[in-house]
Amino acid sequence: MRECLSIHVGQAGVQIGDACWELYCLEHGIQPDGAVLDSKKDRLENAKMVPMAASFNTFFCESRAGKHVPRAFFMDLEPTVIDGIRTGKYRSLFHPEQLVSGKEDAANSYARGHYSVGSEIIDLVLERIRKLAEPCNGLQGFLIFRSFGGGTGSGFTSLLMEQLSIHYGRKTKLEFCVYPAPRISTAVVEPYNSVLTTHATLEHSDCTFMVDNEALYDICHHQLGIERPSYTSINGLVGQAVSSITASLRFEGPLNVDLIEFQTNLVPYPRIHFPMTAFAPIVSADKAYHKTFSVSDITTACFEFSNQLVKCDPRLGQYMACCLLYRGDVVPKDVNAAIAAMKSRHSIQFVDWCPTGFKVGINNHPPTMMPGGHLAKVQRAVCMLSNTTAVVEAWARLDHKFDLMYAKKAFLHWYIREGMEEGEFLEAREDLAALERDYEEVGQSLRYDGKNEY
Amino acid sequence: WRTCNNTFLWHRPSCGRHPTGGSFVRPNKVNFGVDFLTAIKKRYVLEDGPEEDGKEQIVTIGNKPVETIGFDSIIKQQSQLSKLQEISLRNCAVSCAGDKGGIAKACPNIRNVDVSRNLLSSWDEVIDIADQLTHLEVLNLSENKLRFPSDSLSSTGRFTTLKVLVLSRTGITWAEVLQCAAGWPVLEELYLESNSISISERPIDILQTLKLLDLSSNRLIDENQLFLIAYLPRLEQLILSDIGISSLHFPDSGIGCKSSMFPSLQYLVLNDNRISQWSFINELDKLPSLQALSCLRNPLTEGSGAETARQFIIARIGQLQTLNKCKILPEERRGAELDYRKAFGNAWKKAGGHQDPAQNRPNEEFLAAHPRYQSLCLKYGAPEDGELKIQQPFLLKNQLLTLKIKYPNKLDEKVIEKQLPDSMTIQKVKGLLSRLLKIPVSDLLLSYESPKMPGREIELENDQQSLQFYSVENGDCLLVRW
Repeated sequence: MRECLSIHVGQAGVQIGDACWELYCLEHGIQPDGAVLDSKKDRLENAKMVPMAASFNTFFCESRAGKHVPRAFFMDLEPTVIDGIRTGKYRSLFHPEQLVSGKEDAANSYARGHYSVGSEIIDLVLERIRKLAEPCNGLQGFLIFRSFGGGTGSGFTSLLMEQLSIHYGRKTKLEFCVYPAPRISTAVVEPYNSVLTTHATLEHSDCTFMVDNEALYDICHHQLGIERPSYTSINGLVGQAVSSITASLRFEGPLNVDLIEFQTNLVPYPRIHFPMTAFAPIVSADKAYHKTFSVSDITTACFEFSNQLVKCDPRLGQYMACCLLYRGDVVPKDVNAAIAAMKSRHSIQFVDWCPTGFKVGINNHPPTMMPGGHLAKVQRAVCMLSNTTAVVEAWARLDHKFDLMYAKKAFLHWYIREGMEEGEFLEAREDLAALERDYEEVGQSLRYDGKNEY
Repeated sequence: WRTCNNTFLWHRPSCGRHPTGGSFVRPNKVNFGVDFLTAIKKRYVLEDGPEEDGKEQIVTIGNKPVETIGFDSIIKQQSQLSKLQEISLRNCAVSCAGDKGGIAKACPNIRNVDVSRNLLSSWDEVIDIADQLTHLEVLNLSENKLRFPSDSLSSTGRFTTLKVLVLSRTGITWAEVLQCAAGWPVLEELYLESNSISISERPIDILQTLKLLDLSSNRLIDENQLFLIAYLPRLEQLILSDIGISSLHFPDSGIGCKSSMFPSLQYLVLNDNRISQWSFINELDKLPSLQALSCLRNPLTEGSGAETARQFIIARIGQLQTLNKCKILPEERRGAELDYRKAFGNAWKKAGGHQDPAQNRPNEEFLAAHPRYQSLCLKYGAPEDGELKIQQPFLLKNQLLTLKIKYPNKLDEKVIEKQLPDSMTIQKVKGLLSRLLKIPVSDLLLSYESPKMPGREIELENDQQSLQFYSVENGDCLLVRW
């Protein structure tokens, strides 16, 4: 049994978690109280595509009473958001010990999340995580959900990741991070928090899937007809992306079956671990059945900006690795045809030093949509994970914003008074500059002229 | 398409640039179509044809190989036709059901079929297929040019489990819908986009279980036709995007009353129409169960009015909870209703509105244009006159007082006139005068008189207070003594 533990940190992490677990429950036929919908189980038995035990045990733990409890942990430094889960629709799904909240929040400050306020709660958090990890036979690793810009998401997560590396050594840690966008953020200091946390977490994270709030906002507004996207609408989208990425961990599927495979398939160098996610189709519920999306259509859509969850231009970069995961009614014949078509239409440039290329997998379990949600139910969907050098754009934008503020030492005192030093800022910024250079370097082709190797 | 002996074979609406044009086709190139079961096998089963010999062609992209993982096992799974539940045969040239009972034997568990854009040409073929799928819940027949039974006596089939039916772009008429609807006893969702439908009659004893109806892009529909579907008891969602509607008036209810039409309608979609009058929005308030509305890309909501459009829609439809897929929070509703009440306050007064309920008699025209106005006044109180004063733009010149300055002790000094801001403190006024008269500030005593209060002199004793504090007004006269 290859269990995966999901850890949700801060408002973003917790609210995305809320959306994800609701979707997982729908997909696996699990009721809000943890019981499996019997008829669904029978249906699963009947339509069993692959003979196996319910694979969702990687994500759910079955209690003796037959209740399915998520292998998840939610924490925040202030109670409001967690209270939302404690009193929400899925309150009976979680054990109270899985939901931890502090009293005083991190006030959008990395320093408070990492040092002053965060340090007081870290021991309790580690203790609770240990309780969740203990009953696992073969814990694969952790999925951590958080934002870059918030105080808890940035500060506490980096503290937690350091500790997880110490206590759980070689276990894989995959991250789902929300990259800040000015249009829906309220904190000016998000660039500071983002740079500080990326530097502190870089060596502890094995693979980080970023979702850019700006990209999500645009998708919600333009493609889903949501006038002013709220966090709820955006989290619904993120939930779909996460569901696609984790689908083959939760259903038997041939590709990306475990966390190690994600690393092997997508991460050529430890620091170059930020794949870009795109998924298709994205159809508004108001336009259900107006168009049908073939395998070919959704494959092409993955290469369009409007379907990317991070704003960058892959045409300006080079691919190091790429995974295409199809879900639903998809036949290998159609996938082969779509790929052949893609080859001729898109100029996809790979770096020449990397042996891996494209990996394509199919998971026949259909994509599930929240009833009453903004997305139309579709028969097939695809999620593309590509490690492209173009993602460095996102870092460049963040570093630039950081520089503008830091040049004037703006808002710095909020961090200094919590015990941080300016040196840490410089160190973090240096590390991010080095990361940008690393990306540049891997994007260059290896030139071997017989005498020197560059 | 015509063969060389001029027989029509079939006509695809998407082909042919000229309505009376045709082309010659060699008979062996014409696709007569395959039966349903053959199409399923073709798509889902590994055939042993030369191109499917199991050895995958290695495709390369950007000089790198494309590795397909686990396709063999996928193919194996999908070949177990009896396990298939959700299938798509779009564009597979399906033209008929095939041998009787064949489908039922091979894939009885199918619940969800997309057979759009095929060669199905008559409803009878559809019945033949569906009869064999006893668990069929979702059927997509879009883009098939179907011929429907011409009289009500011929069998329309019994789709006993069908919940979702998609007949978009099939050219079906409303009469045909009603005719076949007897065979859909539990239908919940019906999609009829882009069919040039004109609703010609009321559905009686049919479509009564319908929860969602999509009539998008049927541009012949007008408001009167909508009344014919207004009594479907369970209809919760109605999608009317892009039908070109511009007016709506429920004849069964007066101003401010609820209609008995669309009793269960919770979500209405009116995007991409020609709504330009607020009277349309007012009518929507009559819908008893309406909770959510999408009204994007209409003339009313675009252009210069866009900013306030959302506010006004919220204010005009009292029970609305979600607009354009954004939840309306209580604070937003409160703000919108207060803004609306204020914006039309002057019009209300002009039309006979009054803060005193005994004298409050706004005319019919106003009430028709603003049906909720009275109830908003009850909720928040009638707008005060102060609220309704047109705000002067905050320009400095609007805040300046023109004042005379007299020196009662020095009658030979000229009376001067100065413009001072009403927010200026007495201390600063003294400072100004001190520089003017070359007298130290501490020696100055200030007071003022006003033509509105003849004979009275008011001392400006507190240096920290402003001219406004002492109610100094335009045209008053400052008196300076030392």
